[in-house]
Amino acid sequence: MNSVFKALSDPTRRRVLQLLRIRPMSAGELSDHFAVSKPTMSAHFSVLQNAGLIEAEKNGRTIVYRLKMSVLEEALLGFAQTVGWDMKAQRGARRATLKSGTRLRPLKQEV
Amino acid sequence: MVAKPIWNYIPPALIALNTLLLAENWYLRPQSAGSWFVVLLVLVGMTLALVLVSRKPKEEATRREARGSVRRGIVTAGLILVISLGAKLAVGLGAVHYGDIALRATMAIVGAFLAVTGNAIPKTLTPLAALHCDPAKVQAVQRLAGWTWALAGLAVAIAWLTLPINLAEAMSYLLLPSAILVTVGQAVWLRRAKPNAL
Repeated sequence: MNSVFKALSDPTRRRVLQLLRIRPMSAGELSDHFAVSKPTMSAHFSVLQNAGLIEAEKNGRTIVYRLKMSVLEEALLGFAQTVGWDMKAQRGARRATLKSGTRLRPLKQEV
Repeated sequence: MVAKPIWNYIPPALIALNTLLLAENWYLRPQSAGSWFVVLLVLVGMTLALVLVSRKPKEEATRREARGSVRRGIVTAGLILVISLGAKLAVGLGAVHYGDIALRATMAIVGAFLAVTGNAIPKTLTPLAALHCDPAKVQAVQRLAGWTWALAGLAVAIAWLTLPINLAEAMSYLLLPSAILVTVGQAVWLRRAKPNAL
């Protein structure tokens, strides 16, 4: 289940799942919807495949991706989409704050 | 010697437990012999199925998969029987003074089983090459069937756990045929639709 949460935490992967809701699509067709490199898309596909949310099938020379989500997983996707669940963005922001050297002030100062 | 996984012992254990519960129920209420006899036939059928699938240890992958699904079916049916027979026995022994509990428990489990089965419907994929229809339509039908059965099953389970018996019965009569109609309607629509190339 952890892999499902991880897969759903990224907006790009969620968009891939939404596109696959319409119909099965080839890797090229899916990549056309995103302004990211092919290796990055490939990594996203593999995360989704490892979580068991999509399935890849070879059709001649192309790889066709199909949705393989249970009802519960689809409900989770809807929930993630609604609340804008973005763990990666949150982690990135936290990392950036730490790198910039900003020190967190304690909430209470001892007297 | 390779140790057998615990999973192999669950189906026979459930059959044995159900036989014991059935014997006690039959002893306590011999007037319902007809019902107990039907349960006995179900148990005999489950035992035969288990014996048949346990015969050949080395088989090809598809047969092994079929064997696994028969075992899962036996476990599901065994659990439903254990809970309903256990509840009947508890009522028969006077441990529970609520006569409808067996019916409520059985129907709630049936509802939960439908919900779990519906949840898994969109996950069962047929290879694209084996499809005779448009894959997009097949996917749409599977998703709708999954949602329909998951929600109907959940509603039935909740109804039998919370509502008065007559209302829960009415809900089941309304929900389950509606779910069947929606699924069959979608399947007919899919058969009539012209196949499109991917």
